[in-house]
Amino acid sequence: MRSLHLLSASGGGFVPPSSNDFIFPSFFGHSQYATKPILLVFLSVLLISIFFILASRKAAIVPSKLQFAGESLYGFVRNDLGRDIIGHEFMRFVPYLFTLFVFILTNNIFGIVPLLQFPTMSHVSFPYVLAIITFVVFHYIGIRKQGIRKYIKDIMFMPGVPKAAYILLTPIEIATYFITRPLTLALRLFANMFAGHLLLLVFILGGDHLLKGVIGLKLISPFAFAFGIGLTFFEFLVQCLQAYIFTLLTALYIAGALADEH
Amino acid sequence: MKPNDDGAAWSIVGYLLSGLLFWGGVGWAVDHWLHTRYFLLAGLLLGAGAAMYLIWLRIGRKSK
Repeated sequence: MRSLHLLSASGGGFVPPSSNDFIFPSFFGHSQYATKPILLVFLSVLLISIFFILASRKAAIVPSKLQFAGESLYGFVRNDLGRDIIGHEFMRFVPYLFTLFVFILTNNIFGIVPLLQFPTMSHVSFPYVLAIITFVVFHYIGIRKQGIRKYIKDIMFMPGVPKAAYILLTPIEIATYFITRPLTLALRLFANMFAGHLLLLVFILGGDHLLKGVIGLKLISPFAFAFGIGLTFFEFLVQCLQAYIFTLLTALYIAGALADEH
Repeated sequence: MKPNDDGAAWSIVGYLLSGLLFWGGVGWAVDHWLHTRYFLLAGLLLGAGAAMYLIWLRIGRKSK
């Protein structure tokens, strides 16, 4: 390992990518609100708005390509995530589900868009906020629909279980509904985006570093880049999948809050 | 795989995690107070067992 280290690059050794690569300098002074992730969020809102305004402005019976793209995306969220999971009351929740899906998808895909190349959701605060919104939404719906007493009672006490078992089961139910669900929702999205971005950094920066080394290392470099490119396509799948899972689970939690257990 | 099966899979993970965390946490706390070392293991096992029972109640029983 040490000899390899000496062979590589003139001067300093390879600095492996770390969580420091996720910290960006501020654009204006020291404001924390003017960094790359924040700007990407605003950019995503702008892009989404422009896309769907253009896609729906000249809506026609025979759709243009753009209208078709917009409608397919909307139809997917409405039918596969809304109708199939929530059931007959689904239309009320489609705006939220659709916004959530498109927002997360766009921000994830920023991770592989040339020049932008940073998935916003790899900053954990963004997924936290989205998970908190989902948390508030599904509990609010459950309480509105069933009344607070019945809703909490349904969560805490499974029907058809010996009374003694409640000592074991009730804490698990409460922990699941109020802690594990929102936390795993946020952390799953964050961890996938964080790890994915780090993985790409390792191969691309590694390839770049090898290229600056001696001839033997220069020959290895293309393999690192090829891997980086392959992983970029893989990342695209992960980014779509994570946007889908976040929205799917939100829909499932809403469906669970609406359902009468007995 | 239908979306609802997907959902079942995710809620199973959620319940197992909550079971382990809560009862494992209780076991850890008891260990901490009594200066013992086996309550953590007992708590984790109890939590995993209880979570599986709960999963069976919530999902297994319903799909019959």
